[in-house]
Amino acid sequence: MRKSGSTGQKNNKGYIKFDWLPVSIIFLLVVFWQVFGDIGNMPSYILPTPVMVIEALYQNRVLLLSHTLVTTGEALIGFGLAVLLGIASGILMGYYQRVRRALYPLFVITQTIPIIVLTPLFAIWFGFGLLPKVLIVILVCFFPIAVTFTQGLIEADENMDALLQVMGASRWQAFFIARIPQALPDLFSGLKIAATYSIMGAVISEWVGAQKGLGIYMTRAMTSFKTSVLFADVLMIVLLSLGLYKLIEMFERHWQLK
Amino acid sequence: MKYFKMTRFLLILIIITLTLSLSACGTGAPDKGRDLQKVTFVLDWTPNTNHTGIYAAKAQGFFEEQGLDVEIIQPSEGTSDSIVASGSAQFGISYQESVTFARAEGIPLVSLAAVIQHNTSGFASLKDKNILSPKDFEGKIYGGWGSPIEEATIKYLMEQAGADFSKVKIATTGDADFFQASASGQIDFGWIFEGWDGIAAKQKGMELNYIDLGKEATVFDYYTPVIITNETILAQNEELVKAFMAAAKKGYEFAIENPEEAAEILIKAVPEIDGELVKESQKFLSQQYQAEAEYWGYQKEEVWQDYTNWMAENGFIKEKIDVSKAYTNKFVEK
Repeated sequence: MRKSGSTGQKNNKGYIKFDWLPVSIIFLLVVFWQVFGDIGNMPSYILPTPVMVIEALYQNRVLLLSHTLVTTGEALIGFGLAVLLGIASGILMGYYQRVRRALYPLFVITQTIPIIVLTPLFAIWFGFGLLPKVLIVILVCFFPIAVTFTQGLIEADENMDALLQVMGASRWQAFFIARIPQALPDLFSGLKIAATYSIMGAVISEWVGAQKGLGIYMTRAMTSFKTSVLFADVLMIVLLSLGLYKLIEMFERHWQLK
Repeated sequence: MKYFKMTRFLLILIIITLTLSLSACGTGAPDKGRDLQKVTFVLDWTPNTNHTGIYAAKAQGFFEEQGLDVEIIQPSEGTSDSIVASGSAQFGISYQESVTFARAEGIPLVSLAAVIQHNTSGFASLKDKNILSPKDFEGKIYGGWGSPIEEATIKYLMEQAGADFSKVKIATTGDADFFQASASGQIDFGWIFEGWDGIAAKQKGMELNYIDLGKEATVFDYYTPVIITNETILAQNEELVKAFMAAAKKGYEFAIENPEEAAEILIKAVPEIDGELVKESQKFLSQQYQAEAEYWGYQKEEVWQDYTNWMAENGFIKEKIDVSKAYTNKFVEK
């Protein structure tokens, strides 16, 4: 099996890896940010310090959590459906060249429509419930999954196919037994990209119209000039996205170790 | 097999998260009764003290009295017009300018009430820029959201003051914070709501020079914001409009009589916004909602007509709209 790229650690044991290099760089940046905030004369409503952001996160933790749950729900449901849609279309496009020729350009077009135009349209077509949000998350997430999976399927070793068919397998059996497993590393790349985008997709989807969510919390903090809270909200989005990414990576590593 | 164990673990994790989030996703308030009619009210943007009356009507049970279960939605900025026009929300918040624009394009919006009797918005700048009147706009940078109305408004004011419009720079800063943009020097002046950004400035200890739009030119003393609905709902379901507006009016009257309590209601309903800002803003705005008018929500024909004339004269709308169709006081008058 091809090994996909990981965080660069040589130690292959265990599912959760800790890489000191990026963590140290981030830590240094945060320290620099704090010092800059302390000694500079940047007003806190323009750029709060990391300490203020953490304080805001802590002080508003209950409210933040309730918004977080809403956004995470939207993201997970959308991501889940995008995975199904992405894998299904990937298989179809990988197996049938005609389907690939027909669908691929259409898929690309879906990615070029500015979401800011879609938000009022979705409000009008789908209202303000969960549906329009999930649709937007699917829109954001399915593409990388479909594209990477299709690519992995196309690039699989044709000799393997030939061998299996010589041994009596049908084209579909060869596809299932040989091609799909070979395409899995590419699929995981797509899953990681989609997972990273899913939270931000859910945040954007709330701008269709909603009552709760990290996107709603973010804009309210912004228009009442609570910049520390705004940063805390963004930090939450970053942590969630990272968390989902790591989850997929864990899953991938488990599959690789199998 | 390890594979199944992992899948099971992941599945359980996903189910737990989904359950938690779906329960949080559910409608905010529990259903108070089966006979309540569901209504969607869409704001213009984030909740603020312009909307206190609606939140008060909800919290004090005025909507419920009328048999309505109102959901208040925060949309993307600038989308409330199309949302109400399409019927995805039955009522919403908009502004006289955009209702006029919409109607000129054939979009059947109707203004049911003036939330604030006079225009409480204007051009603000940091004190050290010394922008005291439209004449001082010369050589300065304006930061706005990119609507041609902004340019036309500035141009008109400058020409009235005998200043040269070509000497002002118009920049689009979109959603950028007025304070951030001013402090960084990106803009010299912007268009703000006195009752919100103006109060926020005081709280931050920033001194501003404020040019009150309505006082500079009577034609600019228009209604912003207003409560809107669409013509279809008016024609087919006047009972609903009557019920909704009766409760909304009561809500705003409550806010006028009880600014502190109303502020607390807004803070409780929308804990994400700044409580101190809400309290100060409410003190100011509670006196502005009705001002000297006979009743809250009252709209004068001249105000609608004058501004429509101005918009037509400046080429924003091809033909003057029929203002008698654009607004009604039927649901707020005594």
